[in-house]
Amino acid sequence: MCDKRRRGSGLAGDFVARSIRGALTFLKEAVFAEETASLPGLLQALDPRVKLASVLFLLLATMFARTLPVLGMLYLVCPLLAVLSRLRLGFFLVRTWVFIPLFSLAIAIPALFSFVSPGKIAASVGIFHITQPGLRAAIFFVGRVTVSVSLAVLLSLTTRHAALLKALRAFGVPQIFVMILGICHRYIYLFVELVEHTYLAIRSRSGARLHHWQGRRVVAWNIGQLWARSCALNEQVYGAMLARGFRGEPMTLDRFRTQPRDWVWLACVTFVCLALTTLR
Amino acid sequence: MTLFECRDVHYAYPGRVPALCGVDLTIETGTRVALIGANGSGKSTLLSLLDGLAFPQRGSIRFAGQELTEAALQDEAFALDFRRRVGLVFQNPDVQLFCPTVREDIAFGPLQLGIDAATIERRVEALAQEFHLEALLDRPPHRLSVGEKRKVAFATALAIEPEVLLLDEPTAGLDPRTATHLIERLHDAVHQGRTMVIATHDLHILADIADVVYVFGQDRRLAASGTPEEILTNHDLLEANNLIHTHTRHIHDHRQYRWGG
Ligand SMILES: Nc1ncnc2c1ncn2[C@@H]1O[C@H](COP(=O)(O)OP(=O)(O)OP(=O)(O)O)[C@@H](O)[C@H]1O
Ligand SMILES: [Mg+2]
Repeated sequence: MCDKRRRGSGLAGDFVARSIRGALTFLKEAVFAEETASLPGLLQALDPRVKLASVLFLLLATMFARTLPVLGMLYLVCPLLAVLSRLRLGFFLVRTWVFIPLFSLAIAIPALFSFVSPGKIAASVGIFHITQPGLRAAIFFVGRVTVSVSLAVLLSLTTRHAALLKALRAFGVPQIFVMILGICHRYIYLFVELVEHTYLAIRSRSGARLHHWQGRRVVAWNIGQLWARSCALNEQVYGAMLARGFRGEPMTLDRFRTQPRDWVWLACVTFVCLALTTLR
Repeated sequence: MTLFECRDVHYAYPGRVPALCGVDLTIETGTRVALIGANGSGKSTLLSLLDGLAFPQRGSIRFAGQELTEAALQDEAFALDFRRRVGLVFQNPDVQLFCPTVREDIAFGPLQLGIDAATIERRVEALAQEFHLEALLDRPPHRLSVGEKRKVAFATALAIEPEVLLLDEPTAGLDPRTATHLIERLHDAVHQGRTMVIATHDLHILADIADVVYVFGQDRRLAASGTPEEILTNHDLLEANNLIHTHTRHIHDHRQYRWGG
């Protein structure tokens, strides 16, 4: 009996361990797309500035799309690009559909109902009435979010973070802002690694028999600690920047070169966007 | 010529954690100085004070005759000159490396100091070749192994080509070949008239890397100074300052003969 209980708590511990490490791995993969960004695919081969511009055009086209078929076509472009960029389709879809409900449901669901969108009633849920304009608005909203999230995921999966930052710089985003973004990114990475290593360290010291609530408490406590640690690190990094001559306005290397294929690509995207937005 | 002159330097971290309690030392141009001492004895703190990243709360530090104060380093011209002349390699390479790629990290210092692009390009290539970093140039530095990070950290400081290099445990975590290369590199640097200040726990390399050794005591002051031979043969001093352990004494005795020979 005692043995059984111990085994039970061991399993719970494993579950915590697995879910924490799963979450960390997911976070790393989602935010730090190093591996997918170095695949030899269509989007990876483009100049990051051109890629960023083309994604902006597609986003604009999504915003101005007036009919559902146009939105549908814009959405179909995304998995197509994913496949041409050698991303596994399942991997891409999971990454987009995780975020879509997050961004859309909170806004789309209230919009369905008559007190937000008055109009002809399409269906009723108790005292709540779903209106036709409400339904239409909600579908469009979810559709636009879906396309936008897919485009953003495509961009982030196929571009090295460093290149993306430099592309932002090329679009006139102030250097100091880009630098801070870069450092944040680096700290999230470091932070995730710290959490991961600390968790492994705790497990290696406490053995596998960490009760699940105990495990959770240790992890929560450590995250607080780790946060303090990364703040201290931040201060030291500022020192390291000063030590190498930083005086408020960082200078960076700019080494982008566009090729003919970049311009061909940009022309195609512009054409598609114009065609789709003017389509009746 | 005296390059750094520390007089009665006191420094405590916020929260009143004392780190240095009255340190006096002088560093001459073209010498190699080693700082040794137990963990927490204030070596890293002294290096950051020498680099003008923090300032003594009592006492003073002079660099080439000029006192290092917050106000002095606010002066654009002095700060630029000082940063060009003094380079620091931090103990923790994660602190040292903050750019998105290794290439940018190596170029960061010279870029801030207004060195022209062609020269920077040349320095980056040369350093990458020297430290076998060519394949890593476009990778993010935070994804390298500890030893690789340390090599990159060293390259980032050398890219400035400073007259004075402050090194905080440069050989920790390096494989023997890289460590040896680093030591040779330090030798060459001194032949070019550079000054080195190296904090280290690695007593083996002391004779190779230093002309003068300062020993930090547990009381956060200097316990002794002398040539590497003088310090390494003084067992009581080393033991009193936690630099060797009684149980390992015979090992050190054994090494002693090698140093002596
Ligand atoms: N950021 C900090 N905040 C508060 N106290 C600190 C900080 N950094 C160091 N200290 C304290 O200052 C003292 C000197 O630390 P320092 O890092 O200079 O030692 P060290 O000789 O470099 O040690 P090690 O050999 O372990 O690197 C220690 O007692 C340490 O606890
Ligand atoms: Mg130290």
